[in-house]
Amino acid sequence: MTAGPAAGGAAATNGGRLIGTTLTGRVAPVRLLGDPYLVDRDGTPFVGVGIGGIAPAVRVGMPALGWAGEQVEPAVSIVHPDPAANADLSLQACVGNRVEIQGGAVDGAIGVVTGKHEEFQAFTHVLCDFPPEVSERLGPEDRVVVRAVGVGLAVRDAPSVACHRLSPRLWAAWAPRVTGGRLQVGVVAVCPPHLVGMGAGRLAATTSLEIQTSSPSALTAAGLDHLRLGDLVAVRDWDGRFAIGYRPGALTVGVIATGASRRAGRGLAVTVLVSALDGRLEVQVHPGANLAALLAVGEAGP
Amino acid sequence: MPRTEPPDELRTNRDRLVRVRCAAEIVHPVHRGHLAVDWWDRPVALPGMAGVCRNLRLGSPVFGWAADHGEPGASLGSRDSAQHLAVQVLACLGNPVRVASGRAAGATGTVIGKHAYVLCDFEPEALEQLVPGDSVVVEAEGQGLRLLDHPDIAVRNCSPGLLAGLSHRSGPGRLEVGVVGVVPPELMGAGLGMSSEWANCDVMLHDPVLRGAHRLAELRIGDLVAMVDQDHRFGRGYARGWASVGVVVHALGPVPGHGVGVVTVLTGPADRLGWWVEAGLSISTACGVRP
Repeated sequence: MTAGPAAGGAAATNGGRLIGTTLTGRVAPVRLLGDPYLVDRDGTPFVGVGIGGIAPAVRVGMPALGWAGEQVEPAVSIVHPDPAANADLSLQACVGNRVEIQGGAVDGAIGVVTGKHEEFQAFTHVLCDFPPEVSERLGPEDRVVVRAVGVGLAVRDAPSVACHRLSPRLWAAWAPRVTGGRLQVGVVAVCPPHLVGMGAGRLAATTSLEIQTSSPSALTAAGLDHLRLGDLVAVRDWDGRFAIGYRPGALTVGVIATGASRRAGRGLAVTVLVSALDGRLEVQVHPGANLAALLAVGEAGP
Repeated sequence: MPRTEPPDELRTNRDRLVRVRCAAEIVHPVHRGHLAVDWWDRPVALPGMAGVCRNLRLGSPVFGWAADHGEPGASLGSRDSAQHLAVQVLACLGNPVRVASGRAAGATGTVIGKHAYVLCDFEPEALEQLVPGDSVVVEAEGQGLRLLDHPDIAVRNCSPGLLAGLSHRSGPGRLEVGVVGVVPPELMGAGLGMSSEWANCDVMLHDPVLRGAHRLAELRIGDLVAMVDQDHRFGRGYARGWASVGVVVHALGPVPGHGVGVVTVLTGPADRLGWWVEAGLSISTACGVRP
C-alpha cells in the first residue's frame, strides 16, 4: 500500500495504486417494449416512469419513496450503446467519480457518479448527478466522459473487506476507520435480511440489489420508510463480496441509487460499496450519511 | 378442521381451462467460459442446467451433487425466444409431455418443474435415450386455474391433476396443505421480483447448519414446501402475513443468492392458506408420478 491515512482520518488504502481510466457514455434512452403497463403487487396495472433518460428535478438527497414513478433514477442516467462496452462502464464507474459533458450546449459541465441501476436481462445504467441547469440542456448526442477510478480499492488494515465501485473521493469524505482489524463506516439505517429482493445471486461488482418496497408496512416496521436517494445503508446478513447472497454474520453496505417500486420483490436499488463476513465490517448509524452531504452534490450541491 | 383422506374434491374451474399443445425441444447446455464463485469462495464451472441429467430425477436429494442448479430429467425450451417464453409460462407442474422425435419417440413424461427451462421427468429407459434437440410436445394446462371455494388463494403453475392430488384440509375460508418443510423469508433469493409464472425462486440453503436449523436438510426434488411471508400472486416478493406453497424443482445452485428452486403453486393471505408438516409429501404422491 502506498497511501497513508487519507484526508479526514479515513483508513489507509491502496488509493495511490489504483488505475484511472477514461470511459464514455450517453444519456440512456427511455425505452418501452410494447405493453405500457407494469403490474403491482396486487395485480393493478400502472405506467412506470423514471427509468432512463433525464429527471432534472430528482436529485440525490431527496426522499427515495413517494415519487409517482418506478425506481426513478435521479438526474442523468447514462449507458454506452455497445452492450459489452456498457458492461465495462458499469464495472469501472465508481460512486464519487467525476463525469464531464463534452459537446452540446453544456460542454464542460461537471457531474458526479451517484450509483448504478441494473435490471436483469434488460439494462444497466450509471447514474450521474448534475445541477438542473445542466440536466435541462443536456442533449441525447452529448458525450458523457467518466473519469473512472476505484476498482481494486483495498483497505490496508482490513484486507478481507471487499470494496466495489467505491472511489477514493467518496472514501475520503466517508472517512471509514479501522479498529482492531474491523472497518467501521457510517450509514443512515440497517436493512433486515428478509427485505432484500431482486439482485440475489447477481454479482455485487456490476449489479444492484434491491430493498423491497412493495409492502409499505414491512418497510415502516424496519425503520426504512424515510430513506433518501444517496443514503448509505447496511444490509444485515447479506454477503456482497462476489455473488450477492444471504449469509448470517455478513454485512453489506451500499448507496440508495433509485426510488422505490410497486412491483413484488422490487424496490430501492442499492449500489454495493463494501462487504465483509464475520463482523469485520461494522456500522455507526447517523442521519448525515448521504452522498449529497459527503460529495456536495444533489440537493447539497452548487 | 377434520383431515380428509383421501382428499375430497376441491371445487375448481378445471372444466373451463384451455389445454394448449406446445412444441418444445430438449435444449443443449451452453457455457460462456466464465467461472462462478460458489458459497465456499471456490471458482466453479459445473453441469446441471439444460440438456438431460440422466441420474437426477423426481425424488433425488437436492444437496450434495457436484452440480449447478441440477435440473432433473430433461430440460425443454425453444430456439425462438417468444415460443420459449410461451412454453415456460404456460407449462404447469403435472402436465403430460410426449417425446416426438429421436430414439425415445413416443415416450411420455411429466412436467415436474420450471427453471429457465421446463423440467420433465421420464422413466430411466427414456432418459438414457433422450438427447438435446429431440422434440417434445407439452400438453400445457393450468394457468387460470381457480379455487371456487377459496377465492383469495391464487393458483399458479399448477395442473388440475396436481391441485386435486394435494394432501389438504378444506374448511370455510381456509385451506391447509401438507408440506415437508417451511422456508423462512430471509432464505428467499434469486427469483424474487420476477414473474410468478417464470422459472422459480431459489432458497438459499448452502449452509448445512441453516438446513438443519430449519429442518430442510433432507429435501428432495418434488417435495412440497411452505414459504412464510411471501406473496407470489403477481411476481414474487416479501409481504408479512402472506403465505405461499411450492414444489422443490432443482438441486442446489452453489453460488450465493442462488439455491434450491421452488415453483409456487398456491399463494394467499396466511389466515386463508395454511399448512401442516408431514414427511413424504411430494408431487410424486400428489400426481401419481412414480419416482
